[in-house]
Amino acid sequence: MVNTLKEAKEIFRYRELLRNLVLRDVKIRYKRSALGFLWVMLDPLLMLLVFYALFVGLFGRSVGNYSAYVMSGLIMWQFFSQGTKVASLAFLQNRNLINKIYLPKAIFPLSVVASSLVHFIFALVPLFIILLLSGAKLGFNLALLPCVVGIVFVFSLGIALSVATLAVFFHDVIYIYDVVLLGWMYLSAIFYPVSILPEKLQLFMSLNPLYHFISLFRAGLYDPVLLTTEHVLSGVAFALLSFFIGWGIYYGNRDRIIFYL
Amino acid sequence: MITLQGVSVKYRLLEERKRSFQAYVINYVKGKRVAVQTLWGLREVSLNVSKGESLGIIGPNGAGKSTLLKVVSGVIKPAEGEVNVSGKAAPLIELAAGFDDELTGRENIFLNASILGFSRREIEERFDRIVDFSELRDFVDTPLKHYSSGMIARLGFSVATEVDPDILIVDEVLAVGDGRFKRKSKDRILEFKNRGVIILFVSHDMESVRNLCNKVLWLDHGKARMVGEPEKVIAEYEKEMASADAVRTL
Repeated sequence: MVNTLKEAKEIFRYRELLRNLVLRDVKIRYKRSALGFLWVMLDPLLMLLVFYALFVGLFGRSVGNYSAYVMSGLIMWQFFSQGTKVASLAFLQNRNLINKIYLPKAIFPLSVVASSLVHFIFALVPLFIILLLSGAKLGFNLALLPCVVGIVFVFSLGIALSVATLAVFFHDVIYIYDVVLLGWMYLSAIFYPVSILPEKLQLFMSLNPLYHFISLFRAGLYDPVLLTTEHVLSGVAFALLSFFIGWGIYYGNRDRIIFYL
Repeated sequence: MITLQGVSVKYRLLEERKRSFQAYVINYVKGKRVAVQTLWGLREVSLNVSKGESLGIIGPNGAGKSTLLKVVSGVIKPAEGEVNVSGKAAPLIELAAGFDDELTGRENIFLNASILGFSRREIEERFDRIVDFSELRDFVDTPLKHYSSGMIARLGFSVATEVDPDILIVDEVLAVGDGRFKRKSKDRILEFKNRGVIILFVSHDMESVRNLCNKVLWLDHGKARMVGEPEKVIAEYEKEMASADAVRTL
């Protein structure tokens, strides 16, 4: 416990590095494209277009405001999936640095999730545009949003620490996690309402952390009906569970990582 | 102060790195534990370096020189033994490791200095001195991909030596940039030495070791063969190398 605090303090001492790593991610990703940062906003809009064209006929009626429903789900999903997907390479890609200079290594997965948060914040712009255009009533629980974002951040960080550490020892983790993410996306009620699922599957849904996060996000944005204590409690519980498992995996192996890079 | 007490570092050389779950599980079920060959990177090395000393570390390739530097800088935790390092250690090991091609010189200075653990205020304070020493003022807002390798090395050296370290860790990087910058960087390292900064210097160039160091450690297969006066240790080392060469030519 004392040592865990020491490691956390080390990470805090390197906060300027964290800031620079995030800045680098953001700068590099868009430096070379003509539209630059606009892609952060265009990307979810184009995805929305596809889902809308394909599924509005199927699910539009039971959802109500279908474009708001899909857009909010997509953006929350991307915050989680982009961050943790890139994080699976966090130690492997920085092996040069880790091999040469002492650093609190957790700073790499942490910076990846933080970058993903920055992109998420930019993606809120197209989200609110869609919400306004589609006539969603905003403002019921907007104060809930920072809490939801915080919960998802903690959850993502836990997963990021786990996959980044495990990928050092088993490279397969990178590919397995890709497939997991693909399936996970379809299981997270992003573009369909849970009510279309058979009852048995609906029960399983409550085991899906992302389902709770996305529901909370929608509740905060425009649909207060969705806000049930179940989502809040499960969301927080999943986030803490993920974080402690991730931290445990990282912390227990942090001195071994160097020998496997 | 650097104190190492019976420090051993173990590398695990997996026969065929079992890095897939499948192979791991199959082998586990078969009762075959992954064949691990242990290689001692360092074997019971004890060492004392106090303020004002500069230690040269010599030995053939694979003797454990870089491993020793990594232990001191905290990159590797030894499997056995005690490491005590008081003061801030600054690695001059492969200076460009933290640079990013797409970023400008300015952005890279901030990135690299924060890798060394600096706060933003500390970097801002040192920024001008770093740029001046590197003599790259005109290129500071140019992306690094347009720099020559000599320019990158100069920038790296300038960042790393603005650290005000108590311990400077040098892994054969004295040959940086053109002739003039090489002299300038050598002078800077000597300046550190005169200020009482501990210097750990790994090199195959015995001449630079003689010039810079007042103590030499000879590593051989991870073990400390000899520690002491530069002249004596280097003479012994060269004698052995020469006789090894003679055997080879026979």
